Amino acid sequence: MAAAARFPVAPLVIGALVLAAALPLVSSNYVIDVGLTVVTYAILALGLNIVVGYAGLLDLGYAAFFAIGAYTTALLETLLHLNFWETIPFSMLLAGVSGVIIGFPTLRLRSDYLAIVTLGFGEIVRIIATNLDITGGPNGLYGINPARLFGHDITSPKAVYELGIAFLVVVLVFVIRLGRSRLGRAWTSLREDESAAEAVGVPTLRVKMLAYVMGAVIGGLGGSLFAARFGAIDPTSFTYAQSVTILIIVVLGGRGSLPGVILGAIIVAGLPEALRFIHLWREFAFAIALILLMLVRPQGLWPARLRHIAAPSATAAHAVPEAEPSALVADEAGDVPAPHRGTLLEVRGISRIFGGLRAVSDVSFSVRQGEILSIIGPNGAGKTTVFNCLTGVLQPNEGSILWGGASLVGLAPHRVVALGLARTFQGIRLFDDMTVFENALVGMDHRYRVPLVTEMLALSGARREAGRHYAACRNWLEFVGLADQAGMRAGDLPYGDQRRLEIARALAGQPRLLLLDEPAAGMNPTEKQSLMGLIRRIRDLGTTVLLIEHDMLLVMGVSDRIIVMDRGGVIAEGRPAEIQANPRVIAAYLGTEEDDEDVGALGAVA
Amino acid sequence: MIKPILYAALPLMLAGGATAAFAADPIKIGVTAPLSGSYAAAGIDIVDGGKVAAAKINAAGGVLGRQIVLVPEDDGCDAQMGAQAAQKIADDGVVAVAGSYCSGAALPEVTALHRAGIAYVLDGATNPKLTELGLDTVFRTIGRDDEQGPFAANYIANYLHAKTAAVIDDNTTYSKGLADNTVEALKKDGVNVVYYDAITPGQMDYSAVLSHVASLHPDVIDYTGYFAEAGLIAKQAAALHIKAKMMGGDATNDPTLIKTAGPGAEGWTSTTAPLPQFLSGAKDYVTNYTKAYGKAPGPYSVYEYDAVAVIAQAIADAKSVDPAAITAALHKIKDFPGITGNITFNEKGDRATAVYITIDVKNGEFVAGQKLDADGKWVAVQ
Amino acid sequence: MSEFLQLLVAGLTTGSFYALIALGYTMVYGIVRLINFAHGDIFMVGAFLGWTVLSALAAMHMPWGIALLLAVLLAMALTGGIGVVIERFAYQPLLSAPRLSILITALGVSLALENGVLLIYGPGFETYPHLVSTAGFVIGGAQISYVQIGIIFCSLALMAALYLFVHRTFMGTAMRALAVDRDAARLMGIDVERVIQTTFFVGSALAAVAGVMEGLYYTEINFFMGFIVGLRAFTAAVLGGIGNIPGAMAGGLIIGLLEAFSAGYVSSRWTDVIVFAVLIGTLVIKPTGLFGERVVERM
Repeated sequence: MAAAARFPVAPLVIGALVLAAALPLVSSNYVIDVGLTVVTYAILALGLNIVVGYAGLLDLGYAAFFAIGAYTTALLETLLHLNFWETIPFSMLLAGVSGVIIGFPTLRLRSDYLAIVTLGFGEIVRIIATNLDITGGPNGLYGINPARLFGHDITSPKAVYELGIAFLVVVLVFVIRLGRSRLGRAWTSLREDESAAEAVGVPTLRVKMLAYVMGAVIGGLGGSLFAARFGAIDPTSFTYAQSVTILIIVVLGGRGSLPGVILGAIIVAGLPEALRFIHLWREFAFAIALILLMLVRPQGLWPARLRHIAAPSATAAHAVPEAEPSALVADEAGDVPAPHRGTLLEVRGISRIFGGLRAVSDVSFSVRQGEILSIIGPNGAGKTTVFNCLTGVLQPNEGSILWGGASLVGLAPHRVVALGLARTFQGIRLFDDMTVFENALVGMDHRYRVPLVTEMLALSGARREAGRHYAACRNWLEFVGLADQAGMRAGDLPYGDQRRLEIARALAGQPRLLLLDEPAAGMNPTEKQSLMGLIRRIRDLGTTVLLIEHDMLLVMGVSDRIIVMDRGGVIAEGRPAEIQANPRVIAAYLGTEEDDEDVGALGAVA
Repeated sequence: MIKPILYAALPLMLAGGATAAFAADPIKIGVTAPLSGSYAAAGIDIVDGGKVAAAKINAAGGVLGRQIVLVPEDDGCDAQMGAQAAQKIADDGVVAVAGSYCSGAALPEVTALHRAGIAYVLDGATNPKLTELGLDTVFRTIGRDDEQGPFAANYIANYLHAKTAAVIDDNTTYSKGLADNTVEALKKDGVNVVYYDAITPGQMDYSAVLSHVASLHPDVIDYTGYFAEAGLIAKQAAALHIKAKMMGGDATNDPTLIKTAGPGAEGWTSTTAPLPQFLSGAKDYVTNYTKAYGKAPGPYSVYEYDAVAVIAQAIADAKSVDPAAITAALHKIKDFPGITGNITFNEKGDRATAVYITIDVKNGEFVAGQKLDADGKWVAVQ
Repeated sequence: MSEFLQLLVAGLTTGSFYALIALGYTMVYGIVRLINFAHGDIFMVGAFLGWTVLSALAAMHMPWGIALLLAVLLAMALTGGIGVVIERFAYQPLLSAPRLSILITALGVSLALENGVLLIYGPGFETYPHLVSTAGFVIGGAQISYVQIGIIFCSLALMAALYLFVHRTFMGTAMRALAVDRDAARLMGIDVERVIQTTFFVGSALAAVAGVMEGLYYTEINFFMGFIVGLRAFTAAVLGGIGNIPGAMAGGLIIGLLEAFSAGYVSSRWTDVIVFAVLIGTLVIKPTGLFGERVVERM
């Protein structure tokens, strides 16, 4: 494990915070004031980091949440005479709700479109604050009371600074817990590969929304602090330039890296102060410094480390009761015993049309419980399109897909995964910048039952569930033969291992049906041999397997039944021996020039 | 043998502040203004105006036998930067501060300097709220928006004899405040305000707004924002053949307006506190400023000049550089002959008598227009 | 009716500027998938360079017609060159880095250009000479100047020329190939770096034309002028479907008209809210903009 090589960040951060808290003992009010600005920016940047760093979404309007928090505190204090502490929950709530409002229309947009939509949202909030009378128009709001604690007003720069440090510590603990939670893991998977995350069971829309909400809540808190610090707010503090500054802090410091974000805040808020003496040259120097720093360190000054949750040891994992795969998969997933030969999935007459081309045309077949069923056919026959229809990535234009009698058509991919269909991808879609172990854990996302709050507070229920899941994941990695690589970066694995990790990730979701899309592609004969064994072992656990594969040796050797597709339709179905003898199948293969290899393979087996 | 001397001086240096300083040390007066960003031009002009005042005072022997030195600090026209700038000069040991341009930055500065017990004479921030906070350390050499509004309305109603007016602001604190006060006064004066809305500064094209305003046929169009947009508005109104009388507030008083609008600027009127060139007492100032900086002084620099001068007078009156004594002396200032007129502060810290005039664009330059005489009648400025 | 017509012309005039600048956003995005946040400032630099050349030539008593032509051409060449230099030194090293890094660099370039111009020309305003007359004609009660018509036609002509360049020349074909798949284009022997630089050159040169036109029409220029116009142009590019040239044209004109009609019929203080609300609404219904193509991802 790489744990030994880890840099001791935690004690460093704690030490830095203690030093920061002790700053007023030695510094002038001016330094304290700059320190408070750094703290304010650090809080905001930690919030934006959830959206940008953890979840990989773009937000150019983050100052809107800052504004909403500040205005909420200001309005509640001046109109309803609440005290500072009473306004905070409302600030956070209102900011959170606006997180939903901004999140909702943007969820389905690609990241570059997010840039302008979030920017627009930020501007809309600022203009509304400027135009309305209740928010004081361009004058803003005055006479906001300072925070009171133990009967004392927190007004002196030093006192407000300490309050800011306290807020920063709370936010820091919150984002650390959040980053380590399953939500944090889901965000990272989203950042790495959104469609893959959705396809292995992460409810990406909800997870994205939560990123905006969590980021917004922290922005709101920062706004309340800002209002109490100055006692007056006006719309010019919440401009697009402010949003950009916060974004610069996150990216310059290192997306997803908490020490990086704090370092970024120190630089972005501190550097202009240090450069005061050059007046007009100041912003120019800052701009040039920014460009140079990004060129030298594109990942940020203090890049995020690999997400690192240590996998439990083999003995520890085996000791956890009910940890798969030793227990029967069907235990949790359903009550149908493995050898039962009932129909698991029924496909009736599905078609999928791409702009006039019928990629899949009137395809029907059924998958029986406990079998290994293969779909073969020349390139372009429509095999992967069928997979995409089954897993919710594409919706069929016609036909129905029944899973235990209920229709799968119209369900989002993560819903399909939750029902028990997991898949791998033709082109490998791993989360490269996560560990092997964490990749597998993402496959379990939909199986978490404990509420997020319980997890954030590290209550025993959450710890037990996490322990169970870690053990299960460890065992699934062992099952595919990757236990020793658990701590490695997934992107660094050799090709064959990446394929096996995809299978482990799918299995971790405890599927009743596993869909493998060309798992042997790019493997050498030895690897193919062991893959065959793996597929059989998966079936022996009670998981039904649906396989797309070009390698005829593998298909013929492992399949119970085979479906042959050509030009979007099913042309044959039967046991391997029947397929090999089928003249239509042979014709289909001979008729396509680019699949010489397959024809050869077919012939060889025949 | 240098070291012992250094050691001897160290306790004095650590003690800091004005009290421990040598008598020959210069007296520090802070200047807060935007020295970077969009408003840097105005900020630099303010600092330069202050420097002219300091140079004149120093040439005459300084105050209490000591020289005056200005400590300019950039507030970036931003609340956070403003708070830090104020704190920085307070820590620097300034005895008083003369400055400000943006009201948004001035507000945290006012609070921070009040906490430090340092007097702050505002030269450019015209938002009424700044002297309404009940802080006894705030003074202002420039007039307030709520004094200029009624003046502009009076001009529209009683000099132009307009029946209808359109008022446009740019949604900044200053501009909205002035527009609000103007509209309120116009209604009192019986002028029908047919249009009151804000434009977005920096948008360049205001012909859509002007087309709409034109369809309402106002006698007067009053723009309370800054000169850059005012120039565009004058130009575009001319291109649309709008017949209404065009005018603006004191922030439109800048030659750029004429350069931008060209012939379209003819007939434009700005209400303003008297410009240096229209102030009989400011002739020397204009000469000195132009000689030192190679450009004509901008509209706010005279107020900074007077702010520095009045602080110097207060130091002389107090016979002390103690900030509290200076504040007390500022409250007692009576009829100090500033170049913008005689200065007396009322209990809020504002000028007891704010003076405004109108200036008109004629043949490509601003010329003196009208003023109110002692009886409230409109007379030409001599 | 006269007000409607007046607003229409005003909207089309400003829309033409937005469209010309939007082309630069859209071309660069189409080819390197970068939102070039510095593009609004490139436009500003173009306006200043044009002003400098024009002032210098005026001082040499050159006839206005020739001076103007030279100013436009020199501003285009110099601004285009600056665009290429920015690409070479600030963007190119980061083309394979995380997308956000290059975005931040673009913001840095934007800030550097603004403050660079501020340092050279000062924070105040410069004014173009009053060369274009405000003369015009009246139609349906609306006052329309010849310059407005000129601006609209000039922009349309430039856009048409760009469209032909992209669709009829070898370089244009190479650009479109790059937009689809940069690696494949490289394998086909296309000098990818040169194509990217050409894109930056053309986009920046078009922004320079817009800058000089803006200077001539509105007369005053300032280091900060690229911000709002750039923002609106970027909005236009996204509304039309970023990466799509006719989309940028349509988007620019739509934003211009929206701005004019909301100022005329609703309230100018809410213009930006209306513009952004329309943009967000459009993207909710059509996530890739009006003319953008749906991207189907392969699994």
